[in-house]
Amino acid sequence: MTVLSELGTIVDWEKGLVSPAIHFDDEVYREEQKLVFGRSWLVVGHEDMIRKPGDYVSNYMGEVPVVVLRDNKNQIRVLINKCSHRGNQVCLFDRGNTQSFTCSYHGWTFGLEGELLGVPMEQPFYRGELNKENWGLAELPSVANFNGLIFASFDPDAPAIEKWLGEDVSWWLENFVLASPTGGLEALPGWHRYRSPGNWKLVSENFIGDDYHVFAATHVSWLHVIREFLDQGILIPIVTYPGSPTRQVFEGSAGGGEGGPLGLGMIVLDDSIYQRDLEEAEQLGPESVEWIKERHDRLQKVLTERDSKPYSFMNGLLFPNFGLMGFFSAMLGRHFLQFHPRGTMEHEVWQWTMVEREAPQAIKELAVQRVYQGQHMAGLIAPDDVENFERMVESTRSSQVWDRPFHYGLQLGHEHEGPNSLPGNIGPNPSEFNQRQFYKFWLKQMQASRTPAGKE
Amino acid sequence: MVTFELRADVEDFLNREARLLDEHRFEDWLNLFTDDAEYIVPLREHVQGDVGPAGHPIIRDNKMMLLARIKKDQTGLSHVEIPSSMTCHLISNVIVDETQSSNEVQVSSSFIVRQARKLRDEAWWVGRRQDILRRVGDSWMISRREVNLDMTVLPRGISIFF
Ligand code: FES
Ligand SMILES: [Fe+2]
Repeated sequence: MTVLSELGTIVDWEKGLVSPAIHFDDEVYREEQKLVFGRSWLVVGHEDMIRKPGDYVSNYMGEVPVVVLRDNKNQIRVLINKCSHRGNQVCLFDRGNTQSFTCSYHGWTFGLEGELLGVPMEQPFYRGELNKENWGLAELPSVANFNGLIFASFDPDAPAIEKWLGEDVSWWLENFVLASPTGGLEALPGWHRYRSPGNWKLVSENFIGDDYHVFAATHVSWLHVIREFLDQGILIPIVTYPGSPTRQVFEGSAGGGEGGPLGLGMIVLDDSIYQRDLEEAEQLGPESVEWIKERHDRLQKVLTERDSKPYSFMNGLLFPNFGLMGFFSAMLGRHFLQFHPRGTMEHEVWQWTMVEREAPQAIKELAVQRVYQGQHMAGLIAPDDVENFERMVESTRSSQVWDRPFHYGLQLGHEHEGPNSLPGNIGPNPSEFNQRQFYKFWLKQMQASRTPAGKE
Repeated sequence: MVTFELRADVEDFLNREARLLDEHRFEDWLNLFTDDAEYIVPLREHVQGDVGPAGHPIIRDNKMMLLARIKKDQTGLSHVEIPSSMTCHLISNVIVDETQSSNEVQVSSSFIVRQARKLRDEAWWVGRRQDILRRVGDSWMISRREVNLDMTVLPRGISIFF
């Protein structure tokens, strides 16, 4: 009896009971590299990170290092960062601009389309018998640009990105994540990275829907500081962070059909945050006020047909490992996080920051400060999340204690009790419905194991 | 001219400052900062060719933000510091330079900080600091500190000071 063969029983997402074994078992980990990371569309970056030909950023797809670049014909490509000769890494930088990548082992050189440009001493040693066309860098067979967000998949037969995401997920991504109606996003260069204990799924499930932990325990020290400093009139950005305990918030759930689910936490349906943003903008000047009104108007146009008019949401995750944070307010920078698997018991967070392109400089500056003062490796929020994962690993790593499942029972049976004029499902918040959806889809991918990619 | 006495004085200040951190006397430590102080930890990266600088640092605190970090850990609910980290700050390679201003010196130092928590959670932090120290009355105060960590991927979240 292996954990892998028992998945159908021990991942009982319908009852909200999931065995911790799936976070610690080596075989499960190895299989999910193929079945989850090998078959899903994975986010690899944003087009604004690579503005001119030759620009690139390094990233990972699961455990595979990749280079995301813009070639000289302005096409975005995702290359596997592995020399075709004998597997050496060819790009050693976090980001850069270049016309070629030269391998340090035998000096094979590759161009921006992955093509093998040069081989040292090719004529005397290979005598014209090396067919260079066959020996370029491997390129991801499926690459898509969705409103600026770049996805790639190892699966040559991956469904079109629109199909994978589905209409509901696309609607939320386009309008509320990528800010398409309000002029799109601008990337701040640089990966902010930290190692963190815990399987990548523990942090993914946290982002997809765990708003319970925020107020119940994990982040209350930050909330205490907010109260104390507000009382004393110490108004620094992490203290005047957008939030108000009076408003009503909902959990959003979309997708999970053909492609991975998207979960959104703390969707705001009233205008409380809009009013709050307006007030703050007044302190920044007329240009800021105008922008807050303008983006609100543009958003309203997208929502004319809808009874419910969302303004924002706080946190989210697109399956499998693309985390979202800070979409709550126009005064908050947008955190995009990737949770890269690093063995059963560790993951690496790769985070980048974006702001709304058309926002005035004063708003951009404030928004960015709130990113690195908050859900960031040196902020007042993220380190407490990491602490939980550290403790979970310590207490749950032994298979002696895997019998008892983790509990995901919040709002079980009540998940649909929300207004339903929006794409996907809008339910009560906090909830663990999105965690259940996460494991439902994860299980589906793990159980498609017996069929080769694209042949279902 | 930077005299032997001046360098010895600055080194003594830095060593005593480090002692405050290792003894968890954070409010005393914060009192060493001027009201207009800045505490910056830039993002370190390996970049190639003609690209712009990082869009934002890891930390850019003023004194009130430093206070917020200290207050957070004093709530008794700041899980990342429960139990609080044991730290040992080793400060070395101190170089003192004069500045344009007669009451300020620029100090460069290297550090190794070992952080230990719970049973086995451990991190080693290594890097260099650039400080501006200001003479205020009989003592030094820190008016600017830039901490350059020699790492592009942090070993854990930062909940301690350098
Ligand atoms: S491994 Fe790259 S040139 Fe040989
Ligand atoms: Fe959290």
